[in-house]
Amino acid sequence: MAMNRTLQRRLAVGSNATIVTFLVVAAVVVVYLLVDRFRVRVDLSADQGSVLAADTVNKLGLLDRDAVAVTVTAFSAQRGKKESYFKDRQLQDLLEEMDYNSALVETRFVDFDKERLTAEKLGVTDYGTVVVQRAERRVDLQDRDLFRRSGKGDDRKIEFLGEAAINRAFSQLMSDTRRVVYALVGHGELDPDGRDPDGMADLAAALDQENYELKKLDFVRDREESAPRVPDDAAAVVVARPRVAIPVLEEDLLLAYLATGGSILYAVEPGGYVPSLLGRLGVVVPEGIVLDKLLVFPYPDRPVPRYKAHPITKDLSDQQLVTVVSRAAPVQAAVPPKEGIRASTLLETSRDGWIERGGALEGGSAKYEPDIDGAGPTAMAIALELGTDSGLVKRGRARVVVLGDTDVITNGLLSEGPGNASFAINTFRWLLGDEGRLSVVGRPSTVRRLALSSEDLGKVRWLVLSIGPMLAVLLGAAVWSSRRGR
Amino acid sequence: MRDVWTLWKKELRIYFVSPLAYVFLSAFLFLAGLFFYLGVTLTGEASLRVLLGNLAITQLFVLPMLTMRHFAEERRQGTLELLMTAPVSLGAIVVGKWLASLTLCLLMFLGTLVFPAVLAYYGDPDWGVMFTSYLGLVCVASAFCAAGLFASSLTDDQVAAGLIGIVLLLPFWLVGRAEALLPEEWADVVRPLSVLVHLDSFNRGVLDSADLFYFLAFTGVFLFLTFRSVESRRWR
Repeated sequence: MAMNRTLQRRLAVGSNATIVTFLVVAAVVVVYLLVDRFRVRVDLSADQGSVLAADTVNKLGLLDRDAVAVTVTAFSAQRGKKESYFKDRQLQDLLEEMDYNSALVETRFVDFDKERLTAEKLGVTDYGTVVVQRAERRVDLQDRDLFRRSGKGDDRKIEFLGEAAINRAFSQLMSDTRRVVYALVGHGELDPDGRDPDGMADLAAALDQENYELKKLDFVRDREESAPRVPDDAAAVVVARPRVAIPVLEEDLLLAYLATGGSILYAVEPGGYVPSLLGRLGVVVPEGIVLDKLLVFPYPDRPVPRYKAHPITKDLSDQQLVTVVSRAAPVQAAVPPKEGIRASTLLETSRDGWIERGGALEGGSAKYEPDIDGAGPTAMAIALELGTDSGLVKRGRARVVVLGDTDVITNGLLSEGPGNASFAINTFRWLLGDEGRLSVVGRPSTVRRLALSSEDLGKVRWLVLSIGPMLAVLLGAAVWSSRRGR
Repeated sequence: MRDVWTLWKKELRIYFVSPLAYVFLSAFLFLAGLFFYLGVTLTGEASLRVLLGNLAITQLFVLPMLTMRHFAEERRQGTLELLMTAPVSLGAIVVGKWLASLTLCLLMFLGTLVFPAVLAYYGDPDWGVMFTSYLGLVCVASAFCAAGLFASSLTDDQVAAGLIGIVLLLPFWLVGRAEALLPEEWADVVRPLSVLVHLDSFNRGVLDSADLFYFLAFTGVFLFLTFRSVESRRWR
């Protein structure tokens, strides 16, 4: 009887303890699920690149909303090559962040050497390729799209631009309609297909990533067939450094296009031909070259431009990414502005900048001479918005950007300055009215290298493998011996 | 609180008057040094990511060995009954022993602070990432010490307690590795259990409330289980 009572008591207390234990564990699980649902994350890394930029998160949200599966397959870098660890780790971290931020985007990191079959299935032949797929469409990103190198020797730097590249790929896949940007040709303009430093093939490729197509517009050839005009599908027109005068008839065609709410990008050079249409918009391109005491060393003709407040430059300014210009022409909007035209400066020199007219640069040095040079700060790029009250636009709002330097959009400098590609792409996004996509095309994270010689490495090895453990052993021996002596 | 303090001192004294702490410290520092050196030579980066990632796994095997003695040895020597009848709450006993193990871990980590100093001398490390990585390491140590303590409360054989501790912790490491082999729906279920998944954000410089809570809950649950396990001796 007593035995039964003891057993009963044990059973009661035991069951009670078990139930309480389960309840506590269940409560912890529930609280965890709640905390997981309402997570708070703080990025303490120096470059703030460990979590995705708001723009990328928004884009992932849009992809999830469309409910069309998107896969991102990243292939490993070649083992044994310099920076392969950095490259793989950056890509893996980025994929993990995408997984975390999206329910629908599937990511996969593939070891190129071990999973050749996957590479073959996707038709991938290069290490480090990233394939972004959505339904039947895909965008391939190569090493050069994902990493940027600069400097030489000990100053050599490598930066990861993968988030921006994949972000652009998403834009390209999300956009159902491919918008066409026409580049005017026939007057010695920059060649949209050109691969030399003066060509715009790199710009065309960057626009292609945005699902914008850069096509040639030749009014002379069109004239042979029917009445020439800017095609109906034109989302914007580029007039890049015409060498000779654009005939009045063609200027009128561009004006007629603007009147319908069109967008034009003008790029001019110092001493070059200035389209007369710019004068009608109140834009002046004074004689001279823009210089600044603040320059991109060692180039005396490359001032470091400052960003002025505008949607095109906002993120670039926030993230302090420099746009590099070379031998830029000054660009000024009429003061006071023409009625119905809102002008904003995009790039400007510092207070120490000036318009060089004396030719001192030819001698290899530049110095402000108040008698002949123009005082700064000087604008190098401006943006105009034209309303119907301007008398030039009949419907909607027309947009015009005038660049005082063509190098910003040519192969020569497009990928040289940290902000050049972003500036060029953002300019087109703004011209085309894609404000929602205005962002920095790249939030780079840099590899933090150690400057270790083989001699230093020997010292480090000795320090970490011998001294530390040895000290612990000596301490232990001292304690043991003192206790033994008691 | 005073009881916890008294027990913490007693347990630490036991650690440091025996050669055990020094053997662990020496072995741990050698392994850490090896991981650090390999990380530096392989990556050439001013980063502790390779070291800290490997140290977390090392703790999975080291910490159960460090905590195996606590309750198993008391039971074997018959001093547990004495301790339980002393005017000290059972909670204070459990927390005191856990804190002593954690303190020893912190001392071991203190020995690795020479590595950030080396990186700062030869490069420009990211101190934010360094801080969160060490915080992650402390979180793992806290969780594994609690699990090791629970294993120690289950048996009176120290070696068995150590092995139970490792077997108990292994799944929390393996699920992170096996995730890719599981069907997607299963992977989603087991993923939150993985220590590696929750440690990852720390190693990238990100403080995530869910990851912090995971380690807090892991520690809390195993301390609670230890409490229950030791308490069960009163009614079994």
